[in-house]
Amino acid sequence: METLQLTQGVVNAILLSGTLTLVAIGFSIVWGILNIINLAHGAFLMVGAYITYWLFTLYGVDPFLSLPISMLTMFVVGYMVQRYLINLVIRAPLLVTFLLTFALEIIIINLATFFWKGDLRSVTPDYAGLGFTIGDVQIPYVRLAAFVISLVLTGLLHVFMTYTKTGNAIRATGMDIDAARLQGVRIPQTYALTYALGTALAAGAGTLISISFPIDPTMGGAYTLRAFVICVLGGLGSIPGVILGALLFSFIEVFSGIWAPSLKDAIALLVLVLVLIFRPSGIAGKAFYH
Amino acid sequence: MSDQKKAPIRFSSLDGLFKGRQGVLFSIFLLFILFLGVFPFLPFASGFWLNTLTLILLLAAMSIGWNFIGGYTGYAAFGNVAFFGIGAYGTGLSMIRLGLSFFPALLIGAVAAMVFAILIGLPILRLKGHYFAIATVAIATALGEIADSWTSFTGGAAGITLPFFDPIEWSGQFFYYMAYLLAIGGLLLTWFILNRKMGYSWVAIREDEDAANMMGINTTWSKVMAFALSALMAGLAGGIYAYWKTFVLAEEVFKIEYTLQMILAAVLGGTGTIFGPFIGAFIYYILITLLVFFLPVGQLHATILGAIIILVMVFTPKGLMDFISGRKKLSINALLENIRTYRV
Repeated sequence: METLQLTQGVVNAILLSGTLTLVAIGFSIVWGILNIINLAHGAFLMVGAYITYWLFTLYGVDPFLSLPISMLTMFVVGYMVQRYLINLVIRAPLLVTFLLTFALEIIIINLATFFWKGDLRSVTPDYAGLGFTIGDVQIPYVRLAAFVISLVLTGLLHVFMTYTKTGNAIRATGMDIDAARLQGVRIPQTYALTYALGTALAAGAGTLISISFPIDPTMGGAYTLRAFVICVLGGLGSIPGVILGALLFSFIEVFSGIWAPSLKDAIALLVLVLVLIFRPSGIAGKAFYH
Repeated sequence: MSDQKKAPIRFSSLDGLFKGRQGVLFSIFLLFILFLGVFPFLPFASGFWLNTLTLILLLAAMSIGWNFIGGYTGYAAFGNVAFFGIGAYGTGLSMIRLGLSFFPALLIGAVAAMVFAILIGLPILRLKGHYFAIATVAIATALGEIADSWTSFTGGAAGITLPFFDPIEWSGQFFYYMAYLLAIGGLLLTWFILNRKMGYSWVAIREDEDAANMMGINTTWSKVMAFALSALMAGLAGGIYAYWKTFVLAEEVFKIEYTLQMILAAVLGGTGTIFGPFIGAFIYYILITLLVFFLPVGQLHATILGAIIILVMVFTPKGLMDFISGRKKLSINALLENIRTYRV
């Protein structure tokens, strides 16, 4: 492999890891606190991407400005979904919540395909193709911005979870639901809030992805699996773990994409299975939410 | 589903099989099986009905297979479509590449699915809960992608075309009976295993795996066998499906919806029961047909499927059998029982 391809690959992987951190972090808190695998995560991400797309196409809203709109909208949707649907069966056996979120994913994707058609679409602001080069390595502005915004949002989440009362309530619920309830934490609302945070972060990731890559209604499934792989790689429930997992996964994805493009997803999934078999607690070790 | 109380294994011996209400239900069920057995000779058995029933019976067979690992052993396997795909490709490729006739080819397809289940089962059945579920999804997805891109072997996106069944005018009946025999074979296999140590091991693993291990049950072997037998059922169904449709395409035979259908059929009829998946397959088809018939939805077929899953999961995750058989009365209270138990 040439040196240029190698360095460009490293830069691409690092840029990608920012967005993937954002994709995985929402998935991670929902899994860590609510103990459910949110298979609809990718579908919410897709809706976030479409909100950005439509705001841009219909009203000319700058995609970066639509970030708070898409996040807020999906925050409300996520809150409703958890409060009035998933909360009803949250303590049921694994199969129930697994199938429930799976069904949500199917419905959202199907409705999106029905109303918005299955075509690939792109958000193309004037500055989409611009970038700068260091040596021969190209860095597009939008991807650098997406990287920075992802890290800022991740940092904000960390601050929220660590230093605010609500954040502490969420973490306490994840650690011991009964103890949290005795301390006056309102569990249904806290669960709904956690899920809403997860979907809002997914939508944010969707917005950022829509600026750099084409979108279509089925784009989400691949991101749900990626989020899962990253959580497994990094160890469930720790924010630094997710960042590390995303970084590792980005390198696997970028370089397997260079060597065997058609098997990109298969390789990522095989990595997942291997990690699950040999190091089920992840690279970074044990969870802290629990 | 380890923390759900399941009825003990029913119909495990022949005494009392025909006594009481259970006996009545069992007799009705036997009559239904007989009816299905002579169905192709009845005057109203049109091609449409044969076609529909073949589909239902294939789904029943796969669902019975899923029940081994998902219902009895309690491992939420979400990638059983992988075995369906391997069965379809194994059968199809053996027929066109090796020039075998259907039955030896089907055997190869089914054995390939079983061997694959054993090979992946040994490592991934050590995983629990979500991890096992996602690992199976991942393997099924990866296999589909490999089958799609390995053009020189699988024909890739062009698929492979199989020869037609000969004589073609009996094709409908032939595939109907293949599916019928597979589903009935699955029922007998379930009943056979449940009366043996293997069946008790499965249930013991579902209720408490560590305890089962302590009792001296070889849990690894039991789990792998449950997985392999579920692969056998799906693999055979895949092989039959491939020859029936005379076409194998990765996107089609590795569709995750098939896994969902298997699970949903098992859940509707009752997981961890002998007849549950079989009856559930019929309930599933009736439900989806009725809904599609009464709601002019067209493209929104998948939304209907999703809505059914949500309704079942929220209101009756233990299936509809208790209501159908009259063990429980259908009331708002009965439907809300699940929510009362599991909500926060």
